[in-house]
Amino acid sequence: MTVAIAASELKQIIRNKSVLISATAIPLGTSALLILGRDSYRDFPAGLGFAVAAMMTSIAALGLYVTAVTTLAARRQTLFLKRLRSTAAGDTGILTGLLAPPVLISAVQVVIVLGVLASITEGPANPLLLALSGVLLIALMLALALATVGVTRSPEHAQVTTLPITLGAIALAMWIGLTSADSLPLLKALLPTGATTRLSINAWNGGAPVEQNLLLLLPTLGWIAAALVMTKITFHWEPRR
Amino acid sequence: MNPVIELDRLSVRYGGYPAVRDVSLQVLPGELYALLGTNGAGKTSTLETIEGHRSADGGSVRVFGEDPARRRAVRPRTGIMLQNGGFSPDLDVRESLELFGALSGRKDDGQRVLDVVGLGHRARVRVAQLSGGEQRRLDFATAIWGTPELIVLDEPTTGLDVNARDDLWAVVGALRSEGTTFLLTTHYLEEAQEYADRIGVMQQGRLRLEGTVADITSTLPGRISFRLTPGVSAPAQAERMPDGGFTITTARMQNDLHALLGWADVNAVQLHALEAGSPRLDDVLRSIADDQPDRSEEER
Repeated sequence: MTVAIAASELKQIIRNKSVLISATAIPLGTSALLILGRDSYRDFPAGLGFAVAAMMTSIAALGLYVTAVTTLAARRQTLFLKRLRSTAAGDTGILTGLLAPPVLISAVQVVIVLGVLASITEGPANPLLLALSGVLLIALMLALALATVGVTRSPEHAQVTTLPITLGAIALAMWIGLTSADSLPLLKALLPTGATTRLSINAWNGGAPVEQNLLLLLPTLGWIAAALVMTKITFHWEPRR
Repeated sequence: MNPVIELDRLSVRYGGYPAVRDVSLQVLPGELYALLGTNGAGKTSTLETIEGHRSADGGSVRVFGEDPARRRAVRPRTGIMLQNGGFSPDLDVRESLELFGALSGRKDDGQRVLDVVGLGHRARVRVAQLSGGEQRRLDFATAIWGTPELIVLDEPTTGLDVNARDDLWAVVGALRSEGTTFLLTTHYLEEAQEYADRIGVMQQGRLRLEGTVADITSTLPGRISFRLTPGVSAPAQAERMPDGGFTITTARMQNDLHALLGWADVNAVQLHALEAGSPRLDDVLRSIADDQPDRSEEER
């Protein structure tokens, strides 16, 4: 059942030009600009890791988070969610099916842009850690998306409710990438997406001790848990009466 | 015979507002049960609880003996026609039907079902391009997919033209002959009067009346109406209406009609526009709405 929902959702995204463009063209365009300017980042405190973190965050925020919130808000407003819940499909299966296509599209984009960057540079120092940071970033953005849907009235309203996380995540990636790792490291790590940004920089550049990377997992897991608790409280399947 | 649907003292609240209060009813296998009431009577809340979309705040709901929130157990046996909406404008008619059909847990053939509801020729049209009536037919198609044992119809004929309504009732009739049970809400009382085996009338969250059409309409007196030539006096029991006509309300229709005709005969009076009839469902609904105490008064 989840596969049927996911296949249908993917079809809808592909047929809806505005969703397709916002989910692919904007994050890919941003990534292309970052790749083109790669040589200028080598002198930054985070080096080329800055471009990696900025690309991953842009794709996760613009391609995944915004698309997920907008899609769920739209499907709720048109009562598509209610109709799905009128079938034998379970709630988890419905959400998984609806969110699988934006996750897939974002994951493919991340692999493509990092693959391109790796092919024209020296590549990541720790590919496994990079993959882990990517998975954590996707999980965090999904959890934040679910929490945001709870306070979003409509797809139009999503343009407003997604701004704090989207702009915050991109600004945080810039701040972490453009400033020294010794400057306010705890604050940077505790902010949402801060830890995954640092983790992806460490993974690309290498050199960070294992225990430091392990510690960076905790804030992200904490934010995911907090977002899921908020989702439990605020998420609703039908428009508010 | 185990009931298909069983409500026992069901209560549903929205914040402090009691939308459904202590409603108990049963829908038996093979019957068509119509839930009627004015807007805000609690029909939709009751229906949504039966569908598993809303949880009960008090009492219990059982569908096929199960909690309707247990979708995997209940939904493969239940078709649901929602009141409106829920289709993606970016999918075509057949894709939409086959998606929700596949998720129902029942098997069927998309083109067959579309042909049954008269949408076979629109199979590859995007849902966004369907008229309101066509979308209702698509909704009906999702409900009858795989011939479920129970079909819940929420305002099924709203937005349909007369021919489409007749077609829908013909399909309902065919499914009933195969033993399908129906739960229906409708504002078209004549449809409930014609097709329902039993009717429940809700008002302000309570089930006020329940029974066959005859049971329910027998709760009100019948009515004899007529007009008289100007200057002629009416019999004593006739009430003068604002339009100048006269009405006799009666629980003994045959006796009072006989008496009226006898009076007219003896007095050589011509009765114009004479009509005599049992009350209709809309009379019952109006009378219930009229005699209901004010909600704020009742809550005090």
